[in-house]
Amino acid sequence: MTKILLIEDDGETAEEVTAELVERGFDVEWSADGTAGLASARSSGPDVLIVDRMLPGMDGLSIIETLRQEQVRTPVLVLSALGAIDDRVRGLRAGGDDYLTKPFAILELVARIEALLRRPAQSRETTLRVGVLELDLIERTAKRGAREIDLLPREFRLLEYMMQRCDQLLTRAMLLEEVWNYKFVPATNLVDVHMGRLRHKVDGPNETPMIHNVRGAGFILRTPT
Amino acid sequence: MIWPELVRSTSFRRALMLVAALTAIIVALFGFVYWKTDSYLTARSDQMIMTQLNVISLLSDQRLLDAIDAHLRQDSRGVQFAGLFGADGSRIAGNIARLPPGLKTGTPAHGVQIMAIRGSSLENRVVQGVARQLPDGEVLVIGRLVDETVDVARVIGQALGLGLVFALGLCLVAGALASIRASKRVEEVSTRVQRIVAGDLHERLPQTNDGDPFSKLAAIVNGMLDEMETLIHALAGVGNDIAHDLRTPLTRARLTLERGRANAVTLEQLQATADKTITGIDQSLAIITALLRLAEIENSRRSAGFGVVALDQLLREVCDIYEPIAENRDIALKVKASPELSVHGDRDLLIEAVANLVDNAIKFTPAGGRVDIDLIRGEGESVVRVSDTGRGISEGERDAVLRRFYRSEKDRKTPGVGLGLNLVAAIVKLHGFRLAIFPGPGCRVEIACPDQAP
Repeated sequence: MTKILLIEDDGETAEEVTAELVERGFDVEWSADGTAGLASARSSGPDVLIVDRMLPGMDGLSIIETLRQEQVRTPVLVLSALGAIDDRVRGLRAGGDDYLTKPFAILELVARIEALLRRPAQSRETTLRVGVLELDLIERTAKRGAREIDLLPREFRLLEYMMQRCDQLLTRAMLLEEVWNYKFVPATNLVDVHMGRLRHKVDGPNETPMIHNVRGAGFILRTPT
Repeated sequence: MIWPELVRSTSFRRALMLVAALTAIIVALFGFVYWKTDSYLTARSDQMIMTQLNVISLLSDQRLLDAIDAHLRQDSRGVQFAGLFGADGSRIAGNIARLPPGLKTGTPAHGVQIMAIRGSSLENRVVQGVARQLPDGEVLVIGRLVDETVDVARVIGQALGLGLVFALGLCLVAGALASIRASKRVEEVSTRVQRIVAGDLHERLPQTNDGDPFSKLAAIVNGMLDEMETLIHALAGVGNDIAHDLRTPLTRARLTLERGRANAVTLEQLQATADKTITGIDQSLAIITALLRLAEIENSRRSAGFGVVALDQLLREVCDIYEPIAENRDIALKVKASPELSVHGDRDLLIEAVANLVDNAIKFTPAGGRVDIDLIRGEGESVVRVSDTGRGISEGERDAVLRRFYRSEKDRKTPGVGLGLNLVAAIVKLHGFRLAIFPGPGCRVEIACPDQAP
């Protein structure tokens, strides 16, 4: 079972997060204190760490820095109530792999944990395949079965990102950050418009839909069963 | 008691120092006058006795003696001295008892001590004297007591005394007055400042138009207070706006929850209730996030995130992202960024600023219109221009939209938090760029990025 260590001093938040993650089949260990959290991270060897920045005992970034110095490569998701511009950069520089600002939607947190656990390995594959969908990274062409899909470069990038993470929930914020390199949430529903266009091309009128909208959360590219 | 405080005050101490300096200058001046007068009088007297010597020495025998006699008789003040001495030094005539030992013959007049005959007694006197050896070996001595200088010294001394007392008195009074005036003004300022601190924002410091530095300072402080008052009122207004904007979605969420709690019987109904509630809360959170972000950018300094940003590339990226949105609304979105221009800045923030402008432009342009993103080379600056064919920003609102926290009534009805342009302004300011809004047709917004020294 996948083990998650949650280092968070706010009991209620920790409870909610733990409940949600346990329900999704994770084994969650909770630490409310920085020093104890670091000890747990060393002893129990979790698969992923969720670390709050402001903690009693030892602050979150110090924990991450210490672990990274000890050559611990466990993926870390940093949680923070601080929203300063440089804060995110600082969190990632300290060795965090992803950064989430409070308040966050629980689905956003879960999606990011999943993404950290299933980070695509550096593959040498030049062709991505999800079910009947095929993406040629050299020729920059896409096919669904025998049907050629004509994609604009930005649509190609989006589909490539989704195919590398098929069957994973991808939130709007994640897509904005990763595909478009946007560090803010724009007023207009940019992601939905782009996704709508891509979906229109990928899922033909008489084909089983592969791109699914998860209400209030984001999108999933599902392998047809 | 005002005196100890007065003595401690700086202006009074300065007055005292001024008094000391003034005294020194006056004394030196009078000393100089005395010295000059004295040497003038002495020189004149010396000239006189030299003339007398010349005249008398030309005479001989009895006429010489008569001349000495007449010379001494004419002197009512007893300042003239004369004597004729034999070659052996014995007195022949005159009122000098013996040949003064310090007196040399044939030299100009100089100070010498003589033994003067006063009736039947002898007196020691210091006079200016000259001596000449006559052809027959006798020595003629003429002397004069230059006592006018004593009178002059007395007059000068009196004048000095009077002048000094007057000048010093004036200085002290002026110093005391200045210091009392200053402390009174400080007291008044302090009272008013206390009122301002207590919350009376209309209060201002006393101000006159006489160009006095104190008034100038007061004018500066008053200007600052004006600005602060405006800002505080703006903030209070914003506070109300925010409260209102937050309350609306929260009220809706609360109503939904209440109704769901009472009426929902199926899981689906409960879920729908929850979804609606979450939407309302998310809206409130979005407003808070936008405000925090605005404050964050406004308060931050140039950060380590600054680097070289290729503007042409950035504009094409923004256009690429917004193209489908514009297309959906039947708006032609075009980018013209032919020159390869770059600036020093934070890429993420600049993208956010331009994206906000484009977002706004698309939002306020009716279907069939167009939005243009252009990169132009201006004089010593690179200019990013976003223009549209929408309703534009009215003359009255043009300055207002850039004012901090301003929100147009019309903007309040369109979706979004409505802080977009404020955010752009904050980002532009952080970079040291200029934001300008131009009149229509449509709306034209420019970010001018002045070239920086490498």
